Amino acid sequence: MSSASVSLDSNRPRAAAPTTRKVRRRRQWWPYGYMAPVLIVLGVVFGYSFVEVVHYSFYAGSIGSLVWVGTANYRELATDPQFIHSMFNNFKLLFTVPIVTVLALAIALMINTAFRGVRQYRAILFLPYILPATAMGLSFSYLLQGNGVLDALLTKLHVGFLIHDWLGSPSWVMFSIGGVIVWQQLGFGVVVFSAALLAVPAETVEAARIDGANWWVVQRRILIPQIRRIIEFFVILQAIIVLSSVFTYVYVLTGGGPAYSSSVMEFYIYQNGFENGSIGIASAGAVVLLVIASVFIALYLWVRIRAAKDTR
Amino acid sequence: MKSNYPSMRARWSRNRIITKVVSVLCVAAMGLGVAVIPTATQASASGKTNINYWFWGESDIPGMTKWMQQRITTYEKANPSVTITLVPQSNTTIISSFQLASQSKTGPDVDTQWATLPTLLPALQGEVTPISNYVSKSEMSHWLNTNENTIGNKVYAMPLYLIGVPLVWNKKLFVKAGLNPNVGPKTWAQFLADCAALKKHGITPLGMGNQDGYFGAWMFAIYEKQILNSINQLTQGVANVGSSQAKLLASLKTMYTMLSGLIKSGYVNSNVESLSLNQGWQLFPQSKAAMSFTTDGNVLAWAKAVGEKNVGVTRPPVWGTGKLASTYDTTQSSDEFLASWSTNKAAAAKFLTFLHTTANMVALNKETGAFPADNRFPAKDITDPLAKALDKLDTSGTSVWLENDIPPQIDSNADLPAGQLITSGSGSPAAAVALWKQQLQKWQLQQPTQFTLFKKWATGS
Repeated sequence: MSSASVSLDSNRPRAAAPTTRKVRRRRQWWPYGYMAPVLIVLGVVFGYSFVEVVHYSFYAGSIGSLVWVGTANYRELATDPQFIHSMFNNFKLLFTVPIVTVLALAIALMINTAFRGVRQYRAILFLPYILPATAMGLSFSYLLQGNGVLDALLTKLHVGFLIHDWLGSPSWVMFSIGGVIVWQQLGFGVVVFSAALLAVPAETVEAARIDGANWWVVQRRILIPQIRRIIEFFVILQAIIVLSSVFTYVYVLTGGGPAYSSSVMEFYIYQNGFENGSIGIASAGAVVLLVIASVFIALYLWVRIRAAKDTR
Repeated sequence: MKSNYPSMRARWSRNRIITKVVSVLCVAAMGLGVAVIPTATQASASGKTNINYWFWGESDIPGMTKWMQQRITTYEKANPSVTITLVPQSNTTIISSFQLASQSKTGPDVDTQWATLPTLLPALQGEVTPISNYVSKSEMSHWLNTNENTIGNKVYAMPLYLIGVPLVWNKKLFVKAGLNPNVGPKTWAQFLADCAALKKHGITPLGMGNQDGYFGAWMFAIYEKQILNSINQLTQGVANVGSSQAKLLASLKTMYTMLSGLIKSGYVNSNVESLSLNQGWQLFPQSKAAMSFTTDGNVLAWAKAVGEKNVGVTRPPVWGTGKLASTYDTTQSSDEFLASWSTNKAAAAKFLTFLHTTANMVALNKETGAFPADNRFPAKDITDPLAKALDKLDTSGTSVWLENDIPPQIDSNADLPAGQLITSGSGSPAAAVALWKQQLQKWQLQQPTQFTLFKKWATGS
């Protein structure tokens, strides 16, 4: 009995093993079951759309009257001055990334120290980020138009030589759009960096102070290196934004004008695809934009993976 | 441990049950949703006739949407089985929305489109059913300017109103500049002389806006026309028939050189490029500009701001020497048509005809100041001297609005930005013409079917 019972006892774990494996196997697969609906939706929404966009890029005409043109749309893009100009405008806007990053970081470091009204200040900084694009477009068009509010202010300040038609001059329009992007994205940067700074252990900063580090050294040697990964993430995110999500700024402020001078790739795609109904050239433009954005998306993923490894 | 194990399993089982129940509920809800949607559609489809009307007109005639909404209310009261849903469109969506709707063959039963090619190109592609299939000839004989939307003997769209584009001047500012306030410039030389005098007195001669490209497009419509002997010169040039395109481009260069001269001389407000056409126009009622090219409706509205006795109207000064230089610039501007996929064409046409009843046309004029495109409208009802002058301009002689005769893609991609090149000072007339040439080629490549249909239409083959 005793031996039998021992044997039963000793067998129990072995008998339980297949059940555990089954459960584990079940547990390995059921999360995918839950994810399946989302994956199917994503597959249909993005996968199908992507395949269709690539497919349409080899056609001319509108849906219903498509004509196969092979790679002609891509060759057209390579020689189309509007597309080339639009692409360069996207690249020009990349200059806003270091400006937003440096400004946002500087502000985040300054407001990192608790002082009266810091929360309200942070909220005010974040406000532009949540403003509707139409309100922003209207406000800035009144502010920046020739003889507008800004020009009137410059006149009053006796610096009339600085007056420009900020939105109507092809030489200035990209600076104006860049300025609006910096203004709106700044709040987002401040919030991201502030959150990262709050996560830095207070003991680290305290230890540095005990070792005699002054304010500047704490910022430079302790805080900034601690949030390095977040800064990298923010830079790449901003680069992706100015490459592929600046349509709203251009549409509401200038409509791509004057004479295409402020057009960006997205605007080019919109104009050809939706206004002209030329689905082929718009799709080819979208493929080119996707390829360019993919470089930055790959960089972004690489930074995320590296950050995850560091955390582990 | 032993005691915990069953409870963990029990919890896991409970979770599984809850998950299953939630999943079943979700699927059931989705199923219910899918089941409900067609039921709602069927209910509305079986009980009433629904007419979906994508309407545009407010930009041309302030108050137009309100007038239309009131007519719909009246019509629905008289015809309880008909429901009309009005979907106002904007300048930026009027063409693209219908293009998208055409691709899916869903959307409006009745659509408003700008006259001639924005209407006729979709018509040539089978997206518009001729309204003459549903409206009697005797009724249509009262409609004005139907020629703008006619191919062969088929009338594709119904006009609602006519707008003319006069040159308006501020008499007070003319006096200030030492000019005769009662005589507007008739020739180009007179116009330039007036501009010079006004500028000399610190008054902006011409108040316009081109941020949206429409000042340039209006200069094309008014002044490119004055070089041409016939509209065919334009349409065949666009269709690239023989050497017609080279001739068209040469004439465009001449027109842009004239526009460039106006800008360089400082005769147009300096911020023309950062104001939309509507914003630029506001300089006139604010007495910040002495002249403007505008619509009848705006003239009447501005007269209220600056005083009717201070406003003068005349034809745009003659600059070109082509046969069309003597024509005026009236158009029905926009028109109403039946979408080919509509299942309620007869009902929609009946409603459109209702809009042309004399009572409605009189109301249109009274409520908005617009001149109805119907000869049953009693013109004697117009008592205001300024309105009379405008009506006289609109209805005397031949009229052409050249912008109507270029494909919408060429209008938005060549006509509008080419003018911006000039008004922003960033491009020469040669650059503007090069842009036209490039966009004409691009349209031919990108819209081969549309181009072929256009060419057939332009050459009458």
